[in-house]
Amino acid sequence: MSGTHDMGGEPAGPIDKKGHEPEDWERLADAINAALGKKGIQTTDEHRRAIESLPDYRDLAYYERWASATERLLVEKGILTSVEIDEKAAEIHHRWENA
Amino acid sequence: MSHDHDHETNFGSATSPLAARVRAMEALLIEKGLVTEAEIQDNVAYMDSRSPVNGARLVARAWADEGFRARLLSDGKAAAIELGIDAVASPELVVVENTPDVHNLIVCTLCSCYPRNVLGRPPDWYKSFEYRSRAVREPRAVMREFGFEPPGDTRVAVHDSTADVRYMVLPIRPPGTGGLDESELADLVTRDCLIGVDVPRAPSAAQA
Repeated sequence: MSGTHDMGGEPAGPIDKKGHEPEDWERLADAINAALGKKGIQTTDEHRRAIESLPDYRDLAYYERWASATERLLVEKGILTSVEIDEKAAEIHHRWENA
Repeated sequence: MSHDHDHETNFGSATSPLAARVRAMEALLIEKGLVTEAEIQDNVAYMDSRSPVNGARLVARAWADEGFRARLLSDGKAAAIELGIDAVASPELVVVENTPDVHNLIVCTLCSCYPRNVLGRPPDWYKSFEYRSRAVREPRAVMREFGFEPPGDTRVAVHDSTADVRYMVLPIRPPGTGGLDESELADLVTRDCLIGVDVPRAPSAAQA
């Protein structure tokens, strides 16, 4: 059985060729991932497995998948907890709203 | 329009909930001493410094120097390092050569594998579900959408990248470029030529 990511050969529509410059948060998600790899905290294969098992894979944009997978992996490994990420994210969001 | 893009529009802003979660992970990892801010910034700077210009330099050198061409085709990563491109961290890089008989096209059907350490982040379309789905089944139709199609008697070889093996195309040197130096040759080689959805053209043809 093929996974949701295994889409080679499926019928699909025209390719949207317009790109976007990566946003800061996307460049950061990329860099966190690379840094975790270099530190031996996560491997490319682990990250891919986490991406491929996202239940909403096909509804997420590219770096949304990357970032969600990194978060799941860090929680799964017991490095961070969902609660502390929720709290820190709320704190950051609050700061932005009041900036 | 793809789902992908709808989401980028709605959620891609600098202060979105997801952006906050990414910042939160960064902050927590730094607080816990697992990574440093400098390491994160080094990785941002490293990836920002990668670009298709590196691939164009490899191609131009291969066109100008037969010995380098052979080395590029036998070990792409070593050839990149030979030109001073910081690709030490790269997975294996396989360079596939276009000939009058074979035109090569690169895809990653399963995700987005791409020679990032050489060429930078892949373009959005390369990561799109549409390209990933169709490139292996109807490569000629895909190339036509990019405004290019190889001659009918040229075989199209599609290479599906993996996490461990990344591909780059060595295009055919266009006719009429005998008088150009290496840096002028490199200017003819775009990112799309390195993926195989286009081919380089001599300067006069490129303006046509």
